[in-house]
Amino acid sequence: MSERLEKGIQALRDKMDARIASYFSSCVHCGLCAEACLFATESQDPIYTPIYKLEPMRKVWSREYSFWGKLGAMIGVTDNVTEEDFANWETLVYDSCTMCGRCSMVCPVGIDITYMIRKEREAFVAAGYTPEGLQAATERAINIGSPMGVTLKTLQATIRSVEKETGLTIPMDVAGADYMALFSSMEIVNFEEYIAGLARIFKAAGVSWTVSSKGFEATNSGIQIGDPEAAKTIVERVVSAAEELGVKSVISPECGHAFMAIRWEGPNLIGRQYPFKVIHILELLSELHENGSLQLEGMTDTPLTYHDPCQISRRGGVIQQPRDLLNSVASNFQEMSDGGDMNWCCGGGGGVSANERADEIRLQAFNIKKKQLAELDGVETIVTACANCRLMLEDGLEHYELSHEVTGLTELIAEHIKQ
Amino acid sequence: MPIEVNGKTFETDEEGYLANINEWEPGVAEVMAKEDELELTDEHWDIINFLREYYEEYQIAPAVRVLTKAVSKKLGKEKGNSKYLYGLFPYGPGKQACRYAGLPKPTGCV
Repeated sequence: MSERLEKGIQALRDKMDARIASYFSSCVHCGLCAEACLFATESQDPIYTPIYKLEPMRKVWSREYSFWGKLGAMIGVTDNVTEEDFANWETLVYDSCTMCGRCSMVCPVGIDITYMIRKEREAFVAAGYTPEGLQAATERAINIGSPMGVTLKTLQATIRSVEKETGLTIPMDVAGADYMALFSSMEIVNFEEYIAGLARIFKAAGVSWTVSSKGFEATNSGIQIGDPEAAKTIVERVVSAAEELGVKSVISPECGHAFMAIRWEGPNLIGRQYPFKVIHILELLSELHENGSLQLEGMTDTPLTYHDPCQISRRGGVIQQPRDLLNSVASNFQEMSDGGDMNWCCGGGGGVSANERADEIRLQAFNIKKKQLAELDGVETIVTACANCRLMLEDGLEHYELSHEVTGLTELIAEHIKQ
Repeated sequence: MPIEVNGKTFETDEEGYLANINEWEPGVAEVMAKEDELELTDEHWDIINFLREYYEEYQIAPAVRVLTKAVSKKLGKEKGNSKYLYGLFPYGPGKQACRYAGLPKPTGCV
């Protein structure tokens, strides 16, 4: 056995907690998770069955935790994990899983397959089996502070551009502000419309806010790739920036996994409670609208629909707020089939969009979104709340030669501020 | 693999991106294009020059979306789409054009 393989098997063993062991013992092999996975339904290839993506881990479990597996191992008939398994499953685990969590929702015995995939990814990282794109992104996140290589200079250039366009000042490093806004690299580089929308809304609603020059990056590639140490470092950067400025709340931006990372995983990663609240931008907008600080006007009759970012809706619980906001500015809002906590993923979450190797299967999986859109009545506008979803939607639409417009919810709300 | 331009040697990374952006000169793009059997026209140079200006200000390679938006603003809407850019740079407007411009490889969101 090679040293690398040995390390890999040991890593799988290390990541096998009680939860995972009991999940493997409970699986009834019903295959329902396959019907919940966009890679499985759109390819019709059983290799993409979510629980099958955990086969290397299941092999270790079988040999070491199950009666028959242990017995079989003794007489040499239970399979062990091989080099080939690692190589084959590396693509299954990283290219054809967006950690969207849909499989976890349908499992009749309550197995959180998404959690297991994350743990399996951690083992793959420990043994050095990761796609190159993701590895490089995590290194950039640690060394530069952003997976895309965004530096403070990039943020400053974007802020200059937003300030010029809006005529507003973006408050930097203001101690004692109520809210500290985070941005995803993708927003800084690609969607400065979001930052402009935020500035307009906060101005109108009289919100006291700031951006920290020391902790502005919201994404966490350590979580995506399965590197807990990296994930912890990235969370700590935000926490110390918020503590230094003494803000009451930190705003997670229009980005799916950032919310999961900072809101749900963060305190566990750093091992303590935050001295501030974390709120998603859609929660905040909805709150400001409800308490009357944000007044909206002008109903659009353009038919539109909402694409739920998985980590915000399904894994994050922010489901009603975007709908309330949409209904207050649009008279013809149509739900996709499966809209809400069971909406289908854009295909590019969980690091898949940064992994070029996965382009083909990702675009094949996008076929599900195409079908969802075809069922709607005259909808040409898709609203969403995640820069990565947005880019993936635009990419998929172009691939299938569809002409829908994609826009961000914050931007849309900013267009309806009462003057 | 290092490349030779007008008798000077330039270091590149495994994927052929220039190791040091500050060393770049127009000849680098010419030599790289020749290797890809591509003839650089004024349309190509418009994009390469835009990329260099953008990098100068933002210190990052722009995503394709930013590139198409900027092209559409500067050269007209009919050119502001990825089809036009793919026509110029068949290996992907982001990657190939950034490589010619001496920029690092553009990356997606993780």
